[in-house]
Amino acid sequence: MSNKIETIDAHLYYGDFHALKGITLGIKENAVTALIGPSGCGKTSYLRLFNRMNDLIPYTQISGQVLLDGQNIYQIKPAEIDSLRRNVGMVFQNPNPFPKSIFENVAYGLRVNGIKDKSLIEAQVEKTLQQAALWDEVKDKLNQSAFELSGGQQQRLCIARALAIEPTILLMDEPASALDPISTGKIEDLIFELKNQFTIVIVTHNMQQAGRVSDYTGFFYLGQLIEYGKTRKIFTNPTKQETENYITGRFG
Amino acid sequence: MDLRRYTEPFFENLIKVCGYSSGFVVLLIVIFLFREGISFFNFSPVEKGYSLWVHSNNPVKKLEPAQIKDIFDQKITNWKSIGGKDEPIHLLSFDELSQAYSPTQLGPKFEHLPRCLDSFMDSLPGTIGFFPEAQTVGQLKTAREVEVDKIALSKFLTDTEWFPTSRPAARMGVMPLLLGTMLVSFFAILFALPLGLAASIYLAEIADERVRKILKPIIELLAGIPSVVYGFFGLVVIVPFVQDAFNLPVGETALSGSIVLAIMALPTIITVSEDALRTTPRSMKEASLALGASQWQTIRKVIVPYAASGITAAAILGIGRAIGETMAALMVTGNSAIMPHSLLQPVRTIPATIAAELGEAPYDGLHFKALFALGCVLFFITLIINLLVERVSAKR
Repeated sequence: MSNKIETIDAHLYYGDFHALKGITLGIKENAVTALIGPSGCGKTSYLRLFNRMNDLIPYTQISGQVLLDGQNIYQIKPAEIDSLRRNVGMVFQNPNPFPKSIFENVAYGLRVNGIKDKSLIEAQVEKTLQQAALWDEVKDKLNQSAFELSGGQQQRLCIARALAIEPTILLMDEPASALDPISTGKIEDLIFELKNQFTIVIVTHNMQQAGRVSDYTGFFYLGQLIEYGKTRKIFTNPTKQETENYITGRFG
Repeated sequence: MDLRRYTEPFFENLIKVCGYSSGFVVLLIVIFLFREGISFFNFSPVEKGYSLWVHSNNPVKKLEPAQIKDIFDQKITNWKSIGGKDEPIHLLSFDELSQAYSPTQLGPKFEHLPRCLDSFMDSLPGTIGFFPEAQTVGQLKTAREVEVDKIALSKFLTDTEWFPTSRPAARMGVMPLLLGTMLVSFFAILFALPLGLAASIYLAEIADERVRKILKPIIELLAGIPSVVYGFFGLVVIVPFVQDAFNLPVGETALSGSIVLAIMALPTIITVSEDALRTTPRSMKEASLALGASQWQTIRKVIVPYAASGITAAAILGIGRAIGETMAALMVTGNSAIMPHSLLQPVRTIPATIAAELGEAPYDGLHFKALFALGCVLFFITLIINLLVERVSAKR
């Protein structure tokens, strides 16, 4: 399998803080890559490199290369950032639906990207809600506020929202950390379903989750990539002592 | 010993008392305002101690304040038009009476005034006269007192004339003042809301931290400037500007008032809606941007809708400020209590009327009570606006 995303010696500074210290890593296409590590290790910052979300934080500096399909996304024109983000969907730690109806939440990405055809939008909303395994639960109340859904439903709605504009990459920043075990299970099933069509990068605190859903795992510690490889290998036979300590719960 | 067992209930009760008493004070103010305002409707519009007299054969028994004013302004000149006989109306003044009769006939202390009045009425049955009661009461034979209608609530609310000190009968119609207030406030908010919203969006979302740190305190400082200073600014800058721009005889117009009130409402609108805009969670903005939305789309479709209730609150506070503002409105609107027809004409607002006239209204008199009734009207306007907005924001 080829690399969908590749970073070469990527450094990230928040002001004086050196958050990422030269990460070189390739992320495989149509697979799930989990990024694990203790809090503050830089895994979320690394994830946010791929859709240039770090740009929004003032005093951020980035060096090195971040290649998406071979193109350095930090050398594109500012006007192309929007189309980059269209290609890279993102799901956040806490469910964050917009203060709109369920339908409009999913349709939002289509509308802001200039799609006006009503029947097209309706078809896409239904398709993505089904993809996100939410359609049966919400099909009768599409016009209700998204805030009336439960936390787990809201998070699946956010996934549907990200899928609606048909990205090729899906970034998930601890998507289940605010959810109960049943909702978490549904999200994990969903990730399993989606990995055939999308390149998924998931940040997680939950070791078992990383083990269950991912094909590849990268372990981050203090802004460095300590170890990267097939998930089974990392979890059963890690090369580095730090990785083993973390995975077995000796620290973290 | 455990002191907290005693101090904590003590402070709890103290807080409770504060809550109750502030509510009670508000209630007390409203009750007081309405007690004074409602008693207005028990007053006769004719000045205390005076009466209107006509010939006892005159079929007109009752007059409305508006009719009296028209009679004395000589707009009504024949009794026929107000339901009497076809007879010209003669306005008898005290001067005329003292010319018609010699001082000896009238008596040195006007003790014979009733007799003179009677004989004058006999000679000219169309006469109407306005004289003090003290010298006439109980002694008249030919002349008869005319009853004067009290000012009814419906008249008070719909009459288009405000002549609180006109004699013999005052005319008190809220309409010109009410429309003046509405006109000035409406345009003030029309100017202030888009401008304030734009400024708050700029401050909350677009301006970088350095600009914000300078601008925000300056705007907040604007809220602390006394309204009389705004009035002065309006008088020196806005009024001449309006006068020149529209080539008007006077610059003190509803438009000047709207502009000054808009400037005054701006800081409230900006700070409140900026605070509301800043409560939008960062993750929600990021979610929008991550979907490929531009910053402008994110502001328009996510941030402003999220802050809608806060922005509505800002608008109400702005409207409240504009409607209730007294000093600045008094200084720049030109204070003419006539029905407004255009923005470029002097008007007078309700608060400005209260402020301008309370000082010269005799305590507990008709005029005094009328000003309290105006206060009640103002109270209802703000109440209605608040209820409306409550409903609008609840519908969301």
